[in-house]
Amino acid sequence: MPDDTTPTKTEYSSALAPTHIQPMNKAGKWFWLAIVLLAIVFSMGVGGFIWRWQSGWDDRPAWGYYAATFSFLLSTAQTAPLISAGLRLVAGPWRRPLARPAELFAFVGILNMLWFIPLLKVVPDTQHRRSIWFDSPISFQIWETIALAILISCGLCLLYLASMPDIAAKVSKAPGKQGFPVPLGLSWRGNPHQWRILKLGLVVLGAGYIIFLTFQQTIFASDFGLSLVPGWKDALFPAYHIVSSLQAGTALLTVSLFLLRQWGGLKDYIGLDTFKGLGRLLLVLTLLWFYFWWSSFIVFWYGRRPEEQLLLQLFVSGPIRPLFTLVLILNFVLPFLLLLWSPIRKSIAGPVIVSVFILSGTLLDRIRLFTTAFSVTESGEVIKNLPPTRLPDTADIFILMGGLAGMALTYLVATRLLPVLSYWEITQGKILESEKQFGLRKVRMVAKPD
Amino acid sequence: MTDKQVLGLCRDADTTARAVEALEKKGFSGNEYEILTAIPYPEGTFGEKPGKHRLYIFPFIGALCGFSAALLLTIGTQLFPPLVTGGKPILSIPPMILIMFEGTMLGAILFTVIGVIFESRLFGPKLGLYDRRITEGFIGLLITASPERITEAEQIMAGAGIADFKHSLTGGNNK
Amino acid sequence: METEKNITEKQLHKDLLAPVFGFSRRFWIAAGVLSFVLLAAGLGFTWMLIKGLGVTGLNRPVMWGFMITNFVFWVGISHAGVMISSILRLSRAEWRLPLTRAAEVLTLMALFTAALHPIIHSGRPWRTMYWAFPYDFSREIWPNIRSPLIWDVSAIFTYLISSTLFVYIALIPDLAIVRDRASGIFRSIYGALALGWRGTNRQWQLHGIVSVLLAALILPVFVSVHSIVSWDFAAVTSVEGWHSTIFAPYFVAGAIHSGVSAVVVVMALMRWFYGWGKYLRPEHFDAIGKLLIAIALGWFYFFSMEFIFGLYSLEGPEIALRNMQIFQPPWSIFSIVFLLTAFFIPVSLLLFRKVRRNILAMFFLGITVNIGMWFERFLIIVPGLARKTPFTFDWGTYRPSIAEIGIVAGSFGLVFLGLLIFAKIFPLVPISDQKEGQAFKGEIQIGRVKIKTTLQD
Repeated sequence: MPDDTTPTKTEYSSALAPTHIQPMNKAGKWFWLAIVLLAIVFSMGVGGFIWRWQSGWDDRPAWGYYAATFSFLLSTAQTAPLISAGLRLVAGPWRRPLARPAELFAFVGILNMLWFIPLLKVVPDTQHRRSIWFDSPISFQIWETIALAILISCGLCLLYLASMPDIAAKVSKAPGKQGFPVPLGLSWRGNPHQWRILKLGLVVLGAGYIIFLTFQQTIFASDFGLSLVPGWKDALFPAYHIVSSLQAGTALLTVSLFLLRQWGGLKDYIGLDTFKGLGRLLLVLTLLWFYFWWSSFIVFWYGRRPEEQLLLQLFVSGPIRPLFTLVLILNFVLPFLLLLWSPIRKSIAGPVIVSVFILSGTLLDRIRLFTTAFSVTESGEVIKNLPPTRLPDTADIFILMGGLAGMALTYLVATRLLPVLSYWEITQGKILESEKQFGLRKVRMVAKPD
Repeated sequence: MTDKQVLGLCRDADTTARAVEALEKKGFSGNEYEILTAIPYPEGTFGEKPGKHRLYIFPFIGALCGFSAALLLTIGTQLFPPLVTGGKPILSIPPMILIMFEGTMLGAILFTVIGVIFESRLFGPKLGLYDRRITEGFIGLLITASPERITEAEQIMAGAGIADFKHSLTGGNNK
Repeated sequence: METEKNITEKQLHKDLLAPVFGFSRRFWIAAGVLSFVLLAAGLGFTWMLIKGLGVTGLNRPVMWGFMITNFVFWVGISHAGVMISSILRLSRAEWRLPLTRAAEVLTLMALFTAALHPIIHSGRPWRTMYWAFPYDFSREIWPNIRSPLIWDVSAIFTYLISSTLFVYIALIPDLAIVRDRASGIFRSIYGALALGWRGTNRQWQLHGIVSVLLAALILPVFVSVHSIVSWDFAAVTSVEGWHSTIFAPYFVAGAIHSGVSAVVVVMALMRWFYGWGKYLRPEHFDAIGKLLIAIALGWFYFFSMEFIFGLYSLEGPEIALRNMQIFQPPWSIFSIVFLLTAFFIPVSLLLFRKVRRNILAMFFLGITVNIGMWFERFLIIVPGLARKTPFTFDWGTYRPSIAEIGIVAGSFGLVFLGLLIFAKIFPLVPISDQKEGQAFKGEIQIGRVKIKTTLQD
């Protein structure tokens, strides 16, 4: 963003007129009711965890649903900021309203870190299994923790940096608002030097977030998935986990934007353009989801080694088949068929409904992958027997619901701490747009600064 | 009676738009005029209505044809003769999916191209009344109507600022 | 340094139609040189036809060598056109405008050249008819659709037809421009090819829709082609280093990497050869340079995964193979060259804006990446075969013969000669797109800066 394209004081203050942001500052009774309900469900999740804990750390199959919930949180909330970071580097004006709602999910990282720590106790050390760490003197637990900590910190820094102009713009003075933590705006005055630094910082942190998330998901998929199953040698699985996360992260963002639009009073800001852009992105990611799954499947299917046949039974065609079929329908068949249809893709409701399918499918997919991987207890070079399929017990259901509620709760809290929209980016978008007359038609022209 | 054609040429989109507006006011319908340009102006630049087309149907029909052809081909080659290998089913589904995918896409692409040629009426080298200056940036306003209406159309176009005209009786020449 | 200027319609026609209508001694010299290079392939191929496959370095256990490496390499390059044209069209990247046609034609030429290689490699080309199309009702011989080689045929055939149509449809408005300037028999030929294009509203409306539609339809085909080529290898369990699930996206990412780098080379050549500095400006090289960084990083991720998970299971033969690739000459030397030229040198240099805007530097980086990517394919194919496996009795290595080297060299001659001939017959820079870009560009003034705007609707 060249310095001269940043909002002027007048433009900024008009964009931030109290009437514009008022709806977001109001936290009505429904907001607090939601907070209370989510807190109750989250407490049930904590109860489920304590229940599980009492049965000990050694019963690895019992922790499968806990791991699946963590993977789901990682795939959705932790991935959502990446969507914004990536689109900031390449996409057009439609991405501006989604920037902050996506980056606010970085807050959920705090919950993710807490959720992750018990998993380190459940999974055995890499000395007893094949792993990407080989004979590394530093245990995989340390690598995993460092990777997650860096990722979460990077996400929070990205969120903070991107919010700084809005925090400093004293939006806290809007009526009905307790006050954004203005001191966090530090000495931001919006001079050209500060904007230049902000621009550079967003590019560096955005690129960093993409790299750290790729690394973290790669090692997570390897240590908590692949290496628990002897003979599961699938170099594509980490990439599949990432692509599937991108799909689920975009879906979560789409649903969140819809909720903010409908009940957050942001109808004027989050418009059809944004949902159209997300619909297109979801279609591409849906195709990629299938491509990555298929690329892995066809090699195992063709290879036909005994362990490969057993692995296919374990994850696709054995007792897990109904679950897999459901995943295939929810993550690929329905989204593909619906989004292929232009009127559905170019609407608000279409991408939102598809996103609900994708989120449900991804949750089931994580259950399919991680409860199965955690259920394998045999050691050796290759898997020889199919382990029993584990259905969820009450503690598992509490844990699953608690995880989802925890994510929503943390997000709602985050919306009270920082401005929900990136007003400075939206204002900048308005400045960069103009109209031009061709004959009888007025068309929208958009400037793309370097 | 044979329709006549007149082609008005000018450099400016605004002038053409004015001429189209004036023509429509005098009762000329969208079927009676065509605008010829060297570049695709945004829809509605000349006040024209977006044309209806069935292009989107073509890839679907093509995909269906391609899929069916690939399905028949893959099933056929496996069933004649039906050799059982290692106790596996005769029809090997995953390879069939791959070939059917290619067939589907090929069908869709072929039919899309056929569709655009058909829907754009690109049926051959004949151009009708045309002027090669159009590809140099001139905008052509081509009227096809009865002889008496043609004179009226020319006057309207001239009134809107178009000064350069070409005429043709039966579809015109190609100079 | 050139900046974007307003170019008049007349100037645009004069510049971009010069290769079609003008006479250039350069063209004939270049065509002569490239034909001479192509002759090398012709000689190698003819010798092989007369003497048989024995004149190549292929022998048990290495039965896939230079020609299959080159096949994979050219299939990879063929991903350039769709990457530049489709993806950038769908993402509305304006800087793609002058590059699209050259990239698409590079796709066609590379794919055609690639398709020749397995046929040449068979030693008795006419026999491939029985192998790929043996619909022989009398003897009841049918192709085995379970074979990835048959998938190859169907994918490459689909991609070749689709890319040809993609190029043709995009070419129609430009064919009309050439038609309107040609005379005599050429006018009739171009007129027939332009199918009566007049530039009516309806024609433009549908042309716009079909461009997007074809771009979207061809993308899945583009991904499938190199994926299927990768399964030629990944489906095989008996060769170390091949049976990896990551091969499909790894090959596709590699193809895009080498294809886009090849477009950079072609862009620089077009700029120098035809004097199109006004159209292919440093900003275009800058943009494609940034794109290359992203592509290279993505490709390197897949490469790392392939390598790490190759070693992951700590199987003896796999470790021996990697040991051979990394520590045993000449493979170790190839590996070093591959990693330096395909990734470390280009990516570290492309980070600098000055490098990205330097045409000569970009030209050499484009070549560098492709040297690396050629070695990458060679290192995937040959060392795995050279190792003794449970199903072979031999343990041998591979040394290409002069015939194979000639065929590989000739393939470069074929692709570039194809491009040159295309440019002699058709406009290599899309004229209509250039005009459209000129007509609809604008500027807005914000404070003291002017920023270029583009049409959004």
